[in-house]
Amino acid sequence: MTNQPLRRLGVSLAVVASFAIAAAPAAASSAKKLKGTFEIATGSYFRMAQPAAAGGGYFSNPYSTDTDKTYTLVSGGQNGGLETGKLQAAPTPGFDAHGNSLANLIITPTSFTGINFGLATVGTAPTISVKNGKLSGQLSGFTAEWNNQTFPQGSSTVTGTYNAKTHKYVLTWSSLISGGPFNGFTGDWHLQGKFKAS
Amino acid sequence: MRAGTPKRWAIIALAVLGLGLIAAPFAFDMFARAPRGAQMIEAFRPFMTAARLDGFHADMDTIEAAAKDGPKVATSLFATAPRGAATRFATAFPGFARFERRWRRIYPDMTGMIDTIQHNLGNYEAVAALPSFTLFPWFFVVPGVLILVLVGVGLARAAAWRGLLVALVALGVGLVLAPVVFQMFSRAPDGGRMMAAFKPIETRARVARIQGYFSDIADGQGAVQLELIPALRRAGADASVISSNYPGLSGFDADWIHILNDMTPLLGTMSNNVVNYDAVAALPPFALFPWFFVLPGLLVGGFALAARPPRLRGRHGAPSADAPYPLTEGVT
Repeated sequence: MTNQPLRRLGVSLAVVASFAIAAAPAAASSAKKLKGTFEIATGSYFRMAQPAAAGGGYFSNPYSTDTDKTYTLVSGGQNGGLETGKLQAAPTPGFDAHGNSLANLIITPTSFTGINFGLATVGTAPTISVKNGKLSGQLSGFTAEWNNQTFPQGSSTVTGTYNAKTHKYVLTWSSLISGGPFNGFTGDWHLQGKFKAS
Repeated sequence: MRAGTPKRWAIIALAVLGLGLIAAPFAFDMFARAPRGAQMIEAFRPFMTAARLDGFHADMDTIEAAAKDGPKVATSLFATAPRGAATRFATAFPGFARFERRWRRIYPDMTGMIDTIQHNLGNYEAVAALPSFTLFPWFFVVPGVLILVLVGVGLARAAAWRGLLVALVALGVGLVLAPVVFQMFSRAPDGGRMMAAFKPIETRARVARIQGYFSDIADGQGAVQLELIPALRRAGADASVISSNYPGLSGFDADWIHILNDMTPLLGTMSNNVVNYDAVAALPPFALFPWFFVLPGLLVGGFALAARPPRLRGRHGAPSADAPYPLTEGVT
């Protein structure tokens, strides 16, 4: 009789252990949606690759604050960065008289060849998930606003890394520009900073 | 042939002609291509004015003046040792030197392109004054359907042939007159000339080349504002001195945003309309367009007249005095 509590304890531990073993891989492999703000910090940038027919290489932005003018550095706007699960629309009107973008929620509008560009999200709200420290998701509604024009710069496949302890992230994607003055160019985006859950 | 029955071969010819007119837009893929032509005409409308085209020329001249000021700046900044000033200038301001070098081929290319567009302003206006391209396939389909309907009614109601043949002759006359009414004989060849002139411009390669120019020009402007003008200021020149001694540089700097606002939409429109141009270029030549109306019109009228039943004709083909349904009635 004295062995019965011990046996029960053993059985209970075995059950708990088996659940834990079964659950552990599931927890590790299921993607978790990150809803909040991907704050845009130093080191975030935009580059524009030129098609070979237009000279190849990267478009040089003389107004970039980086020493390498092919990198246009960006910093967080009024919302601090890119929000997931909701849209960050451009204001109306979206531009001033010179074509400078007034979309200042995601980034602080930044000079590109002398005219400020801003960012907005339209249509489908961004969604980003983390799985085993790797980021994935879609930013299909991501647009760049410049010189009275809107350039879809989203992607259905963004990638990156996320450290759950430090909340630091790196998010990258490329987007081919289709139509308009930069038709055939590719926007390379690199955002980094900390993720702040909402 | 029964008296009062129109000639069978002519009725068959009319039916074939009707079917041909309906088939023509499909054969030439007009339902897809013609609206692209309409889109292209509409897209270029904001740029196709004398004032706007003069403005593009002025933009190019502004940049040219800045490029020409480069050597003056070199002489000024390196006045203490004029020998080799140009080389030292190029070393000190590589961005501007690169721009200056590239601009030498950009300027004639861009001004040549704007000249071509400008010379075709009248041709563009002629095409824009034509009925919308979107309607073009219907100009074939509608007469084709009308011919078939009239022939079909005639086959169903033999007694109606007189009026139907008059209607067919009227349709033929209408088709012959349509190009005259729309001034197609002058406007369509103008459109052909415009399409020929734009052929080397509206290509993916040419647009990409201009995109490359944009990068070079932006680089040059950046060098002017961020390097050359600050260097002149450091050398003691204030804004008024820079403005009077280097009007090209200060003009480029002052007008840059305007130039960007002006040129970028044109570049975008050129880029977006390469496919539209290709679609229109794949249509039959513009100069033939009026004949696409005249020839079917003559054929419709001719077949309808030829289809007249013998009893409606007098001797030698003249209308008979006793013909109950003179076919020429109502036809002018």
